Amino acid sequence: MITDIDLAVRHFVYRFFVQETRPPAVAETAAEFGLSLPETEAIYKKLHDGHFLFLEPGQSQIRMANPFSAVSTGFIVRTGAKSYYANCAWDMLGIPAMLHEDATISARFTGPGGVMRMAVKNGRIQDGQGLVHFPLPVRHWYDDLIHT
Amino acid sequence: MLLFRSEEDIKDWCREQGMPLGQVLTLEQVWQLSQSWYGSRLEAEYTGRTAVEAEKIFRQVGLADPFWLFD
Repeated sequence: MITDIDLAVRHFVYRFFVQETRPPAVAETAAEFGLSLPETEAIYKKLHDGHFLFLEPGQSQIRMANPFSAVSTGFIVRTGAKSYYANCAWDMLGIPAMLHEDATISARFTGPGGVMRMAVKNGRIQDGQGLVHFPLPVRHWYDDLIHT
Repeated sequence: MLLFRSEEDIKDWCREQGMPLGQVLTLEQVWQLSQSWYGSRLEAEYTGRTAVEAEKIFRQVGLADPFWLFD
């Protein structure tokens, strides 16, 4: 069962990611909350199992705090002075939606076509091209999140 | 979820991957979905959402195909 401390850690992870453009390491979260490393790893695992964030397979390192990616991808979102990687074509729009900020986006097409550049300004998308494919029905989204 | 230039490119990709065609959304549809899906994610009060709540978001954005149902 997800507890208040679990949700507080979730919130911290997201705030940290917004500020630092990367997720906090276990040690950084442990220090923030005065927890031991194993306690923090256990919370990260609970949040992973509850789909609040996603860890690298078999590790305690955060891979995704959707819409943010901890690893480089073909979806780059810039807001103000900061630059983030999004996990996918949905998350590239999820970042400005979550931040409630204007953004410029650089996204790689799958297949031919190179790179698409677009913007979000005053709550509207501008200059976007292309289509987004959702390959799996929602009931299968968490079967293999990294490859969805 | 990947970005493609055209439906033709999506169909070519599906053929190469041996996968059926899923759902194809415009950027405007994904933007509308994103605002509902991610708009409150940074709030301390965000506690996740149930399948019922998720399906409601999909319906509100006009996604009514069984593809968008959890059951």
